[in-house]
Amino acid sequence: MFTKRIIVSILALSTLVVGSVTLIQAATDDTVTVYSSRKEHLIQPLFEQYTKETGIEVSYLTGKGGDLIERMKLEGKNTPADMFMTVDAGDLWYAGTQDVFRPVLTDTLQSNIPPYLRDPEGLWVGLSIRARTIVYSTERVDSSELSTYADLADDKWQGRLCLRTSKKIYTKSLVASIIHNEGEEGAEAIVRGWVNNLAATPNAKDSHVMDAILAGQCDVGLVNTYYFGRLIEETPDAPLSLFWANQETTGVHVNVSGAGVTKHASNAKGATQLLEWLSSAKAQAIYVSLNKEYPANQSVASDAIVSAWGAFKKDNMNLAIAGILQADAVTLMQRIGYK
Amino acid sequence: MDRFCFKSNIWIVLLALTVATPIFVVASAWLLPGGELWAHFAQTLLTDLVISTVILLFGVGLGVSVLGTILAYLVVMVKFPGHRWLEWALFLPFAIPAYVLAFVYLGVFDYSGYAQVWMREALGLPGFDIRAGHWAIILTFILVFYPYVYMMARASFKRQKIHMIEAGKMLGASPIRIFWRISVPLARPAIAAGLLVTLMETLADFGVVSLFNYSTFTTAIYSAWGDFRSIEVAAQLASLLVLVAFFLIYFERRARGKAKYYSTDVSHIRPYTANGWIGWLLFAFVFCVFMLSFAMPILQIIIWSMDVFAEEWSGKYTSFFTSTAILTLSAAALTVTVATVLALPSRCKNQSRVLQMLIHLSTLGYALPGSVMAVGLMYGVQNISFISEYFGGSSLNHLLFGSIALLLFAYVSRFMAIAYNSTNASSEQIKPVYEQSARLLGASRFRLIWQVYLPMMTPGIMAGALLVAVDVMKELPATYLLRPFGWDTLAIRVYELSAEGLFERAAVPALMMVAFGALLMLAFNKLDSSRL
Repeated sequence: MFTKRIIVSILALSTLVVGSVTLIQAATDDTVTVYSSRKEHLIQPLFEQYTKETGIEVSYLTGKGGDLIERMKLEGKNTPADMFMTVDAGDLWYAGTQDVFRPVLTDTLQSNIPPYLRDPEGLWVGLSIRARTIVYSTERVDSSELSTYADLADDKWQGRLCLRTSKKIYTKSLVASIIHNEGEEGAEAIVRGWVNNLAATPNAKDSHVMDAILAGQCDVGLVNTYYFGRLIEETPDAPLSLFWANQETTGVHVNVSGAGVTKHASNAKGATQLLEWLSSAKAQAIYVSLNKEYPANQSVASDAIVSAWGAFKKDNMNLAIAGILQADAVTLMQRIGYK
Repeated sequence: MDRFCFKSNIWIVLLALTVATPIFVVASAWLLPGGELWAHFAQTLLTDLVISTVILLFGVGLGVSVLGTILAYLVVMVKFPGHRWLEWALFLPFAIPAYVLAFVYLGVFDYSGYAQVWMREALGLPGFDIRAGHWAIILTFILVFYPYVYMMARASFKRQKIHMIEAGKMLGASPIRIFWRISVPLARPAIAAGLLVTLMETLADFGVVSLFNYSTFTTAIYSAWGDFRSIEVAAQLASLLVLVAFFLIYFERRARGKAKYYSTDVSHIRPYTANGWIGWLLFAFVFCVFMLSFAMPILQIIIWSMDVFAEEWSGKYTSFFTSTAILTLSAAALTVTVATVLALPSRCKNQSRVLQMLIHLSTLGYALPGSVMAVGLMYGVQNISFISEYFGGSSLNHLLFGSIALLLFAYVSRFMAIAYNSTNASSEQIKPVYEQSARLLGASRFRLIWQVYLPMMTPGIMAGALLVAVDVMKELPATYLLRPFGWDTLAIRVYELSAEGLFERAAVPALMMVAFGALLMLAFNKLDSSRL
């Protein structure tokens, strides 16, 4: 019977696939394997360039930061990962506490990346800086009205503020930094003020925050600068502008994306070499141009659009603190009802 | 008592237990402490999210039942303009992943979307926050999930004996009365089955709820894990979802009662004809649903992808497509095979309650969020590794994580409910007279299965395979965590781009998914042209 034959052949096919399963790619000795929560389209061009220059292949697996850390913990000493790359200081810090990394503090890394962007013990290094600051409508807000993150809690912004969800790691790290700078009570008052001033349910994406400001639903918001950079690249005359927050006080909250060599790397040498290359001026230029971020290597110039925003004072809080205080930040936001 | 009956076949028991592994792993999390976090959640999130989960389930459940049943009834029973193509077109929304539909709806209907901009500028109406409140997300879920009820109700209406309806008509009952008194009661088990799948899927959803920033149970699950790094509490919360699903199944079974419906006859005669303006009104209604749930979102996706096609398209898409196709087809084949075996015991007159319970347990993975299922499996493997190491062997973790075997196992476990629903329904519909004849003629058990059960169950098997295939194609969290190196699927591409806010570029892989899904439906329809 026809249908029967189809069923049988589908079964045969699936057995074949399942059979060939554990053909885990036999990686050649010098291939470097990377687990990354930085998305594929942002890392693939870099690794391609590395292979072109050195002849060394890089294989990678993207995933969510927390998932990949869990996977590495369970894989233990047999993990295929030589390097772990992620997009938030809190994740880097957490991976450090879970004994996922080994210290690699080579001279090259020390000279390429400034100390405040590295783990003190050398477990991980930052590869790009991501600033989270105020974005505002140039039609309805004058920059003189803006000053600090705390100011957005003021009554004058009632019904004019848009924020990204508290579930996003960037929000968590920002609030963690506010707890560090203003204390638990100060932070609580600020977040409560923000929630009172919201014009809409917190958005799922930074890009939605900017869309909402452009559409007139709100007048100010908080975003990572590269989202703004992408928007401006597409629509240069959008009536939106960035404002550097807390310039008179603690400075703009910055986060890092970064990477470290795993504790059980089978190719630690290759991974270290890749990490050094990623911190080099040439790679850093590609790294930041792919996503309009700020380079961690200070000898590298930012993308033209990015440098047009000018220099700004950064919050020099040690980034491990963002990790340590993240759970407190979430507790605080959930208590206040910041969704 | 009966050598033909698989009342307590040990292999079937083992199979059901294996499929249910992730459920056991997740439930075993209760052995671990989690007290402090529970207290925090109880003070902050729980009240709000229990209420909003209940509202969501109630709204979505009511909506899909009403919409799915009415649509199915109209296309099967009534002749109206366009009924022939609409009958097939209404299946198409299956091919669109829920999170894709959600981001299209937000792009069009949220404050900054052009529908609202037009409303404000042309009509002078005030703008509003579509994500506030419950109605918008409920509507989204209804438009995503109504095809489950539609599909099952439609199949059931098709099998209803035309003479019962003719008898009703001769006795002078109005079409609406016949709908309520004859058709709906007969289709009740099918509607309930579709509803069950919808509710389980809504419970486990994370993509749509996070785009709307709505709080459901999954919010707390992801918070426990993502924010507080507590896999234990995440698993404990997830096991509560399983418990809810278990009760839903129980009520569905009870609602069905002891009624059995033996029929595989399909009639293509439509008892009613709607002419004139009533016909066009019906057309307009059905067409509107099709527009909102499929045509409009697809058009939007096409417009987005045209802008950025050159930037996004590359040779990598061959690999995205191949991985998607291989995973989809092999998972579908494997899942329905297991589901067919699990459906055999329901042929017994005196079913073993324990076995039936076990089989139902094995279908509960559908209510688990995909990532919890995936982590549950990783911990399951970890336990096997402990045993292996205890006996001097080595850990298996690095071999199984990121292997296709574990990923396929995750799919089988997660999507067993929909495959089993279909195979079991078709197995229950086989009239006992067939197997009695076969046995009188001295057929062996193997021949009975191969030559009687399987051919008669084919429509159910095919429908189950199609549903699983489309669901696997759309699946994200488990695939994301468990896939082997280089096995990125289209769904992963959609996620990675949309997570960065690049919705236009994400439209390219999304469009390919929809095309592939439509192709699957077409292929399965060809394979089983009479009945799908």
